[in-house]
Amino acid sequence: MNLPDRRLIIEMACIFLMAVVLGITWNQRLLYTVWQGGAISAAPAQVPGTAPADTPLPLGLLQVKELYDRREAVFVDARDGAAFAAGHMKGALSLPVGEAQGEGARFRERVPLSMPVVVYCNGYDCHDSMELGMILRSWGYGTVYVFEGGYPEWRDAGYQTAGGVE
Amino acid sequence: MARRRLSDRWGGRVTDRWKYPPALLRLALGGVFLYAGAVKIGDLSGFAGDIAAYRLLPHFGNYLAAAVIPWLEALCGVLLITGWRVRGAASLIMALTLVFMAALASVLVRGLDIDCGCFRHGGAKTSAWTALGRDSLLLAATIVLLRKTTNQQKT
Repeated sequence: MNLPDRRLIIEMACIFLMAVVLGITWNQRLLYTVWQGGAISAAPAQVPGTAPADTPLPLGLLQVKELYDRREAVFVDARDGAAFAAGHMKGALSLPVGEAQGEGARFRERVPLSMPVVVYCNGYDCHDSMELGMILRSWGYGTVYVFEGGYPEWRDAGYQTAGGVE
Repeated sequence: MARRRLSDRWGGRVTDRWKYPPALLRLALGGVFLYAGAVKIGDLSGFAGDIAAYRLLPHFGNYLAAAVIPWLEALCGVLLITGWRVRGAASLIMALTLVFMAALASVLVRGLDIDCGCFRHGGAKTSAWTALGRDSLLLAATIVLLRKTTNQQKT
């Protein structure tokens, strides 16, 4: 390999490494959470039903899929209507967190308080699902879970979706 | 010496009749990639979702790629605009564009109807065919720029 080629490859490697370092440093917290989320979803220790009394329990993908397959829970999308229309978990109900108070009565008519509810939004840096989960708890829902990986993780896993991009 | 430095910076000898087109090409390519990277840097989840729609990487891989690619695009864009390490940046852009084109081709082969995720997340949907056409133009422009830059280094 002649000198200019070697120099070019070193240049490219340096630029690439710099991008990797900047990208990981800039997003370190979120990447760490996503990484941890993967571990949580594989851990059998977190069994549905062990949620603390006052806050929704975060659930991993495996547990969410189990609840979905057994039809043991209602799935609620906390994102806005446009995001829901673009794509959502098949069978999920839309309840944007900003409209939760106004839509509360209708939602309570459709979903009994005894029904387990799984709330999700747009992944690990989206806090709407936790916020909506707290609202549902305050309405009297006894079993509320938050799917932290949200719609991106569900779609990424190739599970059933509905809406725009399927 | 000053003349030589000035000519290197703008991508050609001052006496060269092609002194401006390579510089304009470099600035245009740099601008496109800087823009493409900058609009995605602050939206990791959205871009990770776009990458996930290609169904090529595992879940964490989508987030990792979404963290690195925008910075790579932005860095290469800045280098092209400033005229520093042009060959390295252009070669990386060429490699990146080829990867994008391979991913888009796989989308077409598998019949997936997805947004390419090339620029801002959540805007008007860009089909794989449109994105592939655009990437072909970018690839051609990058190859022209690389050839011009290499020729200038030889002269």
